[in-house]
Formats: sequence, structure tokens, C-alpha cells
Amino acid sequence: MKSGIIIKNEPYLILNIVFAGVIMLIMLYSGIFSPDTGDYPVVCIHEKLTGQPCASCGLSHSFSLILRGRINDAYMWNENGLRVFIFFAAQFLFRIFFSWYYIKNQDSQRQLISLDISGSIVIFLIAFMPFIESIFKWL
Amino acid sequence: MEEVKNNTGQNLGIAALITAILTFVLAVIPCVGLIAIIPGIIAIVLASVGLSHAARNDSPKGVLIAGLIIAIIASLISFSQVFVAGKIAQKADNWPDKIENIVNDVQENVVKDLEDANVSIKIESNGEKVEINTNTDKKDREQTLEDLEKGGTPEKDTVITGK
Repeated sequence: MKSGIIIKNEPYLILNIVFAGVIMLIMLYSGIFSPDTGDYPVVCIHEKLTGQPCASCGLSHSFSLILRGRINDAYMWNENGLRVFIFFAAQFLFRIFFSWYYIKNQDSQRQLISLDISGSIVIFLIAFMPFIESIFKWL
Repeated sequence: MEEVKNNTGQNLGIAALITAILTFVLAVIPCVGLIAIIPGIIAIVLASVGLSHAARNDSPKGVLIAGLIIAIIASLISFSQVFVAGKIAQKADNWPDKIENIVNDVQENVVKDLEDANVSIKIESNGEKVEINTNTDKKDREQTLEDLEKGGTPEKDTVITGK
């Protein structure tokens, strides 16, 4: 008979908790800073160095506007903002759901991890492809 | 009897994993991708130290290996952006020269067009009309200048006055 799960001995659960925490921090950052005042502490280093705006410029504004329900304005700030936001929101829900499923169904943990890895890679590539393209088009 | 696991290096592993995930999120965003190299290196160091501790004490390595792999991938993505920024900056260095060349070309074309232009000025006031015709052809201007020096009058320029 299997004993109960100790989180410290389960890398998958630790990873899920950490990732969910990081996503919560991103949402908190987007919620605290207002797009109307534009007082974001993080500036585009890429633009500072090269003088050229990058594919992710306006992403913080976009996230803040999405959280406030102003989707059209968010699209104006960064056209990829919505898809990246959906990625993070989906990942947050996945972390909670997969962690619960992992604890409840200990017989299918390996299958769950395989499904999670492959699914997350696919949606990551869909969401971040414009950024990845912009990084590598100059190489 | 329940097996007691040795958790040496686990705290380092969790710290490495947190740093590695943060690094990865930063690395794939071009705006801040360049600075992701710093937490990336920190995560690799934490994971490596944790792995060496875990190997010595035969404790679980799952979190440490996950942290190390994510940190290495994120650092590679971040490092590639250093080259990208370098490439863009290199291209941006050439842009002022290109813009200067374009401005010079436009300037030359405008001057060339003006040199060959015929200029006609008509002024009408209270029924009186003055019409001045001239051309700015360079050779004609030189000829006119020579004529004026000799005391003649320019032939091609005309001034018509009338009502």
C-alpha cells in the first residue's frame, strides 16, 4: 500500500507550486501598476540598447489592460499580449488541476507528467512563437 | 517499515527551481531577456551545488535536475539575445550613413531638377499685368552672365508688361 504524498519528495508538485507562484507574481505586477499612469518599473532593455522596439514592448500595459477588461486597448499596446496572457492564465489553472490529479491518481502519474510536458510545450510554442521568431530573426 | 529519505540538497533544489522558472519566463520575453542570464547563472550554480550534496548523501535529485535543465535552457535563450542585441546595434550603426546617402541623393536630384527648370512669374494688379519668364538652365545662366559682363542684355529672360 502506498503511503501519503510528501510534497518535498515530489519534484512535480514543487514545480507546479513554484510555477503557479511565479504566475501569481506576474498577475500581481500587472494588477498593481496602472496602464493609465504608465509607472511601470521595468523598461525595455532591448530598446535601450539598440534603439529599436522589440516584439514584447507594451506587454506589461497589455496585461494590465486585460486584467481590467479593456481587451481592445490591450491589443493596441501589444498584439501578442492576449495570447501570452491566456498562456499564463491556462498554466495557472493547469498547475492546480494537474497537482490535484497527481495526488488523487497515483497510478497514472507518469502518464500525467508526459501529457503535461507535451501539452505545455505545444501551447508555449503557440503563445510565444512571435517572440521566439523576433529573437532568432536577427541571428 | 517506512523508508526514511535523506533530503540533503532539497532546499537548494527548490531555490534553483524557483530561480530557473523565473529565468525562463524572463528569457522568452525579448524586453527583459538580456538580464535573464544573471538569475540563470545563479540557478545553475544552486542546482549544481545541490546535486553534488545530493550525490554525496544519496538523496533525491529530481528537483535539482529539473532546476538545472530549465536554468540551462533559459540561460541559452537569454545568451542568444546578447548576440541578437549585438546584431541589431551593429545594423543600427550603419543606418545614419544610409540615411545621409538618401538625403544627399534627394538633394542632388532636387538641385538638378531646379537647374533645368523654366520659371514663369505672373503678377496681376488693378488690371496691370507683369509677366517674367526665365529659365534656370546652367549653361544659359553662364551665357547670360557673360552677356551682362559684356554690357549686353539677356536674351532668353523676358519681361512683359501690359494692361
